[in-house]
Amino acid sequence: MNNLSRRSFVSFALASTSLLAMPAISTGSARPKVVVVGGGAGGATAARYIAKDSKGAIDVTLIEASKHYYTCFYSNLYLGGFRDYDSIGHSYDNLSANHGVNVVHDWAISVDSAARKVRLGSGATVSYDRLVLSPGIDIKYDSIDGYSVEAQTKMPHAWKSGTQVKVLRDQVLSMPKGGTFAMVPPPNPYRCPPGPYERISMVAHILKERNPTAKIVVIDPKNKFSKQGLFMAGWEKHYPGMVEWIDNDTHGGIKNVNPETMEIETDLDTFKADVACVVPAQRAGAIAMNAGVTDGDWSPIVPASMQTKADGNIYVLGDASVASAMPKSGFSANSQAKVAANHIRGELTDSRVFPAKFSNTCWSLVATNDGIKVGANYKAGEEKIEVVDKFVSKTDEGNAKRKKTYEESIGWYNGITTDMFS
Amino acid sequence: MVNFVFKFFIAISCLLIFRGLLAEPLLDGADFDYGEYLSGQCLTCHQSSSDEGIPAINGAEALYIAKKLILYKNKELENEVMQLVASALDKEQIASLAIYFNSLEK
Repeated sequence: MNNLSRRSFVSFALASTSLLAMPAISTGSARPKVVVVGGGAGGATAARYIAKDSKGAIDVTLIEASKHYYTCFYSNLYLGGFRDYDSIGHSYDNLSANHGVNVVHDWAISVDSAARKVRLGSGATVSYDRLVLSPGIDIKYDSIDGYSVEAQTKMPHAWKSGTQVKVLRDQVLSMPKGGTFAMVPPPNPYRCPPGPYERISMVAHILKERNPTAKIVVIDPKNKFSKQGLFMAGWEKHYPGMVEWIDNDTHGGIKNVNPETMEIETDLDTFKADVACVVPAQRAGAIAMNAGVTDGDWSPIVPASMQTKADGNIYVLGDASVASAMPKSGFSANSQAKVAANHIRGELTDSRVFPAKFSNTCWSLVATNDGIKVGANYKAGEEKIEVVDKFVSKTDEGNAKRKKTYEESIGWYNGITTDMFS
Repeated sequence: MVNFVFKFFIAISCLLIFRGLLAEPLLDGADFDYGEYLSGQCLTCHQSSSDEGIPAINGAEALYIAKKLILYKNKELENEVMQLVASALDKEQIASLAIYFNSLEK
């Protein structure tokens, strides 16, 4: 048997087996293919739910460069010393072992939407019937004058978890006595709206214990922020006099940063820092841009399904999408992934499609056992995802309630990471 | 007058008892597949076995789950997240979730 005839024989045998095993699948001999790019809260959840709920009827490939995923959520708690680094790292092994997901550790370089193929860093291509892009954010390094890829070592953004957060923690721990920590939060819209302010809380927590005469200055490009009243009351209660928050109207705008002199220049003043966390503006991960499904920096979606408005075969989840009222959070991405997974299964296997239902809760830690939260339910409107109902923690609630909220956040962390990776 | 009040009281009591006996079954209209889909919202937080911070609900009695969700919906149980989740669930959705979680292994 020469090579060609051997291949033909194998193809025939595979086709026969598939037809016998799954006669109902409309694509004939091959199972429908879903490719998911990005193994975070959106992508890992989507891959797991499509594979799990289709019970093998859909061939799911997850493309993710990293072998271990370090969650962005709770990375602030690692920074503050409440979690060790390993505890926020997760592997993809169970997605393969338990649900048959093909996990490919590579970069997705480009999308040929006409041919429905994704090209990988290795040069290989992967075909899809439906493509899910959940690439998270890319940092717009040039959005702050003086900032760059090189500058991120001196002035870490630490906004994508992983080693950047380690760098920032080491810098905070070795800050000179009585030194200044400067934080430049990002402008809207950005990943994790309460994140910069939880980060300030966690840095204050470290400094209060190790370096109590140190100061924190927050040079914000915004005039208000998520859970503002709760954070500011918490800073005053736990870290009195340590945190100074300066809004955009007061400092007049951030003109530039200088990683060599560790200076941040505004219209009002030039701030000199010993450690600076500078988080620039953000946009959808590059693969969403490359796939041609973005409008400006983000990808508009159809609220009922999370399909992109540009291409019905491509779905965008999480931070990279324009989810309107839903914040860019891990919880949101996980919620959107289930809506997309249900819709994709319906399209490819004729399973039942149920109405989209979205939710989000963001927990933040202000100090030891002082947890706060904000949350909402959402529905799919015609054009936008719309808020149905919402809540936020109260400034006057007691210590017992705050402790319970923190404990609840631990349960959520364990829950969502199980929902992504088990 | 006293007699009237007494009769009225008896009538109301009978009505309440009768309603209790014929209580609308909480699991009517349950749809397993719908419950499986809706459970995705719960599983962002609820783990299958650990009760740390948030209780495990896999394998719980269906009526127990349905009653709890109704109590949260009516704001008779405290927890903002659960009140929010339950407020957006109708009777069929509550019943569907209850039978789905009951079917899962503890």
